[in-house]
Amino acid sequence: MVASEFISQGFQLPLPLMILLFGGLIAPIIGLLKERVKIPRIQEAWMVLVAVADLASVYLLYQEVKALPGEVLVMVLWGQSPPLGGCFEIDMLSVFMCGSIAVLGLLVAVYSVSYMERESRLTEFYTLVTFMMAGMTGIALAGDFFTLFIFWELMGLSSYVLVAFLKRSWGPIEAGFKYLAMSAAAGAFLLMSMAVLYGMTGTLNFALIAASLRVETVTPWMMLLFSCMIIGFGVKSAIVPLHTWLPDAHPEAPSPISALLSGIVIETGLYGLTRVLYLTFDPGFFQLPVAVLAVLTMSLANVLALLQTDIKRMLAYSSIAQIGYMLVGLSAGTVVGMQGLFLHVFNHSLMKGLAFLASGSLVHVAHTRDIDELKGVGRVMPLTSLALFVAFLGLGGVPSTSGFVSKFILFNSAIGVGLWWLAVLGVLNSAFSMAYYLRVMKNLVAEPSDRVKGLKEAPLPMVAVSVAMAVLIIIFGVWPQATADFAKKAAEALVANLDTYIRVILG
Amino acid sequence: MLPLMPYLVAVALMFVTGLGCLMIKRDMVRILIGIEIMFNAANLLFISLSTQAAGFIDPFPHSVVMMALVLDGTVIAVGLAMVMNVYKHYKTIDVRKLRRLRW
Repeated sequence: MVASEFISQGFQLPLPLMILLFGGLIAPIIGLLKERVKIPRIQEAWMVLVAVADLASVYLLYQEVKALPGEVLVMVLWGQSPPLGGCFEIDMLSVFMCGSIAVLGLLVAVYSVSYMERESRLTEFYTLVTFMMAGMTGIALAGDFFTLFIFWELMGLSSYVLVAFLKRSWGPIEAGFKYLAMSAAAGAFLLMSMAVLYGMTGTLNFALIAASLRVETVTPWMMLLFSCMIIGFGVKSAIVPLHTWLPDAHPEAPSPISALLSGIVIETGLYGLTRVLYLTFDPGFFQLPVAVLAVLTMSLANVLALLQTDIKRMLAYSSIAQIGYMLVGLSAGTVVGMQGLFLHVFNHSLMKGLAFLASGSLVHVAHTRDIDELKGVGRVMPLTSLALFVAFLGLGGVPSTSGFVSKFILFNSAIGVGLWWLAVLGVLNSAFSMAYYLRVMKNLVAEPSDRVKGLKEAPLPMVAVSVAMAVLIIIFGVWPQATADFAKKAAEALVANLDTYIRVILG
Repeated sequence: MLPLMPYLVAVALMFVTGLGCLMIKRDMVRILIGIEIMFNAANLLFISLSTQAAGFIDPFPHSVVMMALVLDGTVIAVGLAMVMNVYKHYKTIDVRKLRRLRW
């Protein structure tokens, strides 16, 4: 049994979520133990253990969901049975998102062991990372809007503090406050859209909302709801008019956190947007607005990325561009589009995670984030730079890396629903984005300056994680069958099996 | 059943006030107050809509609002902690002086 039932209350928690919440609650005690008993590296060991247990429990959850007839698992969270109280409704899409979170979480946990070893306040760091993963897992598993909102704020709170974690300099503090102000305002918009939804349907349960709203004609209330949702989810997932916090917040955070934020937190925002939009509206209603947002997002972000001199800031803009590609799949709204979207979420989590971790290693060793000052680092740190090359090629969508497969499916889906211009603009943007990746790659292999010559390769765990991720990117690029099939199952759970999703709750 | 219209007008006014406060105020604490007003507008909308079901007052929005109050309280607390740190670095809480990162 994947859930444990708390005594007499009928209160169930899915196992991955329970492990992460429990791990986060125990982490301060472990920190205390480290101070009193002086066991070296016990906090790091606990974090890695929690991440491994999370990955294993996601696999157990996958087995259990797969065994059910409709592939939907319902767990009662609080109060009465699902339509009245809160619940977790777990389908293949939720499992897919949990899997992406767990994979990147494990890699980042191993990387943090040596990256953060010279920092103080490690107790707070590992507690917050665990709670941030718990928040994301909860969003992926939620079966009603209110449960989603609670975990949304859990994820948000931990990430605000993690962005401002290195508080001895001014940059992280300023970026953190900007992130907090924009995200909290977006949270108010989200609560507003919840209230409007409640007024229209009398419930916040996803299945009931889908059953009662999807057939309705467009009214002014629907327009209000749509704009509140786009703003509420759009700030966290950095859709272009609302992206201004991201290029500040992501570079200023510690590198493992940048990898988590860019790799999976903004994608969790996009998951929330996709799930709620698809359940509330007919795909024809949101196709054009989302397509326009997609074009805006990828074009503006690619142009701005070209102008950056800071490598982590450039990667942050490239994350916004990738969100634009994912929105192409959402605007298509078909099974193929959603398959491309979620496959790109997984692939992007590996590629952008690797890009941030590897450039984090460069920054850790060379103590500069300026692209020109990093000239020639590739010759003294060959393994890290090679991994970074693979990540850049994947982000640009070069064949035989995993980025190519998901982008191919995404642009194909746009053609499939007749949005030729969207596919063409996407391909052009994708080609254009190679310009700034190639600039960094050229700088890395250039003749090293004196400043760089004495440097050594990064510590072993950091190099090992980078190389492992690079190998994974190539493997999923050359043999994409397994991930593509899983992503297809996830997309079908959202699009084709919507009736099952509704019937499980309604009975 | 209470009339809904006055409450909707109040909600719209509060939300716009909060949003305006967020956009034009220079003081960081006032920005946080603006966010709080926006949250409370949404909460008020929840509560006023709970009276609209036929014949009874729906308890569900009340439980949602209870939790939402706790959540926005914690967000504001973290925000105030950040304002303190900003004050340590800049000796001011005027948000327009925070221009060192390019916007």
